[in-house]
Amino acid sequence: MSEFDSAATLSKSPPKSLAALLTAGAERTRLWRPEELSAIFRHQMSSPILVDLGGFDPATATRLKILGEAQCLLLKSFSDLFHHPVPPLELLTLTKDFAKANMDHPESALPQEVAGALYYASIATAMVRLDARISQLKDAELQRGLHWAKDQPWVDGQTREILVQALKKISPDTPAEGPPQ
Amino acid sequence: MSSEPPASSIFPRTDWAGLGKAAEADEARLDGLIRLYWAPLRIFLVATFPSLKDQAEVLLQEFAEDKILKEGWLRRADRNRGKFRDFLKTSLRHFVLDRLNRAEARHAPISLEELEQELPGPSRPSEEFDLTWIRAVLAETLRWMEADCRDPAADQPRRGFIWEMFRIRLIDPVLNDAPQTPYEELIERFNLKSPTDASNMLLSGKRMFKTHLAKVIKEYAEQDAATAAEIQALEDFVSHLAKRS
Repeated sequence: MSEFDSAATLSKSPPKSLAALLTAGAERTRLWRPEELSAIFRHQMSSPILVDLGGFDPATATRLKILGEAQCLLLKSFSDLFHHPVPPLELLTLTKDFAKANMDHPESALPQEVAGALYYASIATAMVRLDARISQLKDAELQRGLHWAKDQPWVDGQTREILVQALKKISPDTPAEGPPQ
Repeated sequence: MSSEPPASSIFPRTDWAGLGKAAEADEARLDGLIRLYWAPLRIFLVATFPSLKDQAEVLLQEFAEDKILKEGWLRRADRNRGKFRDFLKTSLRHFVLDRLNRAEARHAPISLEELEQELPGPSRPSEEFDLTWIRAVLAETLRWMEADCRDPAADQPRRGFIWEMFRIRLIDPVLNDAPQTPYEELIERFNLKSPTDASNMLLSGKRMFKTHLAKVIKEYAEQDAATAAEIQALEDFVSHLAKRS
């Protein structure tokens, strides 16, 4: 039996509430509040890689499974991937592609900020752990993105450290803590 | 919306058994519509003709039987020319005025003062009608959405979660001023595998709400273009009221 008596509740609702409810179906409105980004990013980092990246084509999904299991089940989450001493380059690239797709899509299910942090974290991890570039971004643009990501208060300490190390690789003489010149 | 004759029709004098199948389904649909929008119609009638308050139910019953249920009457409502709600209000006003004129003809002349009291008032009754109408539309939308989500025959296993997520993230904060449920609590409550999973669940709820809202309105707007226009008109009206209050 329904616990929610819509007619009774609505009979007392002021126009402002009715207006908010009428537009509840609008999909482009922000789903999550800024103060929830910390919890969302934590959730993202602890999420199984296969859940999000498994949405690619079947061949890629199979390859993902093999890659993940090849690391002796140690690469289950995005956090495991970014903090692994030698993460598979292919997994980092797929993560970057997944994040980019969500950054670019206006109706992405992932908050744009979280997608952005994931994007730069995957690029930074490849640079720091594997000395590899998995992005076509020029240094100046990459620096701006890495700075932005590391400055987000909801990014965890370990991930921030990778971003800082990646900044040092781009400009060894420039302090990584300051904004880009 | 059900197309079966209601167990207890709002129109006891209607001979349901005597109607043909197609007519019966149509009449049942109309009966459902009238039952749904009875409250705003009554509010409009009483607000427009305050001295007829005690006769409101009888007048509405007669209006529905003499007009709405009459074959062809609803076809006169040109969905391209105006809102169905306005057509209903105008028709009801004319119906009551006609009744008053006939009563005047049968009885001793009414004083000008008494007559002026019966004249249609300003736009306030119309606003009250529209506000009550919107409440009825939204209540019906939520009722159908919840039923859809709780349908045991539905293919989607987590459909019940969609309703709960929509209720605690949108309905309760908007209608009951409830605080937002913390994200961590949502993860546990709905066994969310990732933020994408959480967002997709909420987006599914929004889409279902939008779909059911359109269905409820299409019951009286009938055409897709008229349905879209009516949704926009309702949004504009209630936003305007919200800014005023």
